[in-house]
Amino acid sequence: MALNTLEFHVKIDEGTKSIDKPVHLGVVGSGDMEVLMEPKDLKGAVSIKLVTPVAGFDELWKRVVETFVSETLLGDVHLEINDNNATPAVVLLRLRQAFAEATGE
Amino acid sequence: MPKWNDIQEQSFLESDARARAVGLVDEGTFTELAGPFDRFYSPHLETLGEAVEFDDGIVTGVGKIGKTPVFVISQEGRFIGGSVGEVGGAKMVNTIRLAVEFYDKLVAEHSDLTDEEKPVVVISFETGGVRLHESNAGLLAHAEVMDQLQKARHKVPVITLIGSKVGCFGGMGFVAAATDAIIMSEYGRLGLTGPEVIEQEMGKEEFDSSDRALVFRTTGGRHKYIMGDCNVLVHGKVADFREALGKLAGLPVSEFEKMRRIGSPELVEKQLKLVALAAEMQPKDARDVWAKAGNADAATLDSKPFDEFVASVKRLEV
Repeated sequence: MALNTLEFHVKIDEGTKSIDKPVHLGVVGSGDMEVLMEPKDLKGAVSIKLVTPVAGFDELWKRVVETFVSETLLGDVHLEINDNNATPAVVLLRLRQAFAEATGE
Repeated sequence: MPKWNDIQEQSFLESDARARAVGLVDEGTFTELAGPFDRFYSPHLETLGEAVEFDDGIVTGVGKIGKTPVFVISQEGRFIGGSVGEVGGAKMVNTIRLAVEFYDKLVAEHSDLTDEEKPVVVISFETGGVRLHESNAGLLAHAEVMDQLQKARHKVPVITLIGSKVGCFGGMGFVAAATDAIIMSEYGRLGLTGPEVIEQEMGKEEFDSSDRALVFRTTGGRHKYIMGDCNVLVHGKVADFREALGKLAGLPVSEFEKMRRIGSPELVEKQLKLVALAAEMQPKDARDVWAKAGNADAATLDSKPFDEFVASVKRLEV
């Protein structure tokens, strides 16, 4: 019943890059989510804190975020996510949108 | 966030609360207050295990239109139907309070202020009213917003915008009606009890909420314009709302008294005349009232092209 808070770190070995400015993206609609993406000194890692009403998908969350980090080579960034039953495809889409906005790509 | 120029061309209906807030004021002037990075989310939803949002579904901030300081409140309908709870309500209350305090300070320091240099508050409503999860805290938030509206009266005009998907219903329908001026698009809807709730409580014979045409000719912008509940009817783009807002923002505060719906003995009398008219007419449909207002083409009024409608429609006078 209570909200689940998941926290984890993702670090890739290749040369990572951070972002210049903090970004907020998304609305916590049904099946959607929002993300805060902030530069933070984490020795090249990405830290994620996510809050979701859904239980039992911790591994899947981790894999989606790992996919995102490995394709963007992101590092020294803190992500905070409020989720409301977003599917993995939507999560990846929102993360990519936030990354595009943060980097101007 | 899309670029400011692109937001202007966007449909107000389809924009999110933050894009509306940014797009309603001059380019580059919007500063968000208590934004998502401040993480003021609802403690009640958290306790209930419901998804939270960092801005609690309401964007607040300040910006400028020309020389006019504009305090902006913009509700997000996609987060729990734009419902107003304790945190979002407090953000609304404090934005209006800031505007009033700012006005007092400005007037005390500068005796030669022109009307367009005085602040206004604009509220973009997209809500079904109280967030039921937060019951009393949500209700209290409504009362506190109403209280601030009274404090702003004769000082800072409060202008309502309605052109969103959810519309403006429930307790926030009361709040909107208590503001000084209302700008709507024809896609905006304003009312107290929402269509689905009427059907649920009174039955499909009373009100068929799946009948979109019925819903819009009872709660939509065109009907509200004829009834006088809405002061200005605009096309649906963000730029259209911005333009109408800009025209009102520079007016002297006394001009807004003429646009109000409630708040004086004369206006109460006018409302009572409307009630008496309804009792006398027993209208079966909004079109009966449109005909009563002097529209010979009442049957086709809702399908007329927008510009033609605005140019030719007769509004109800009591």
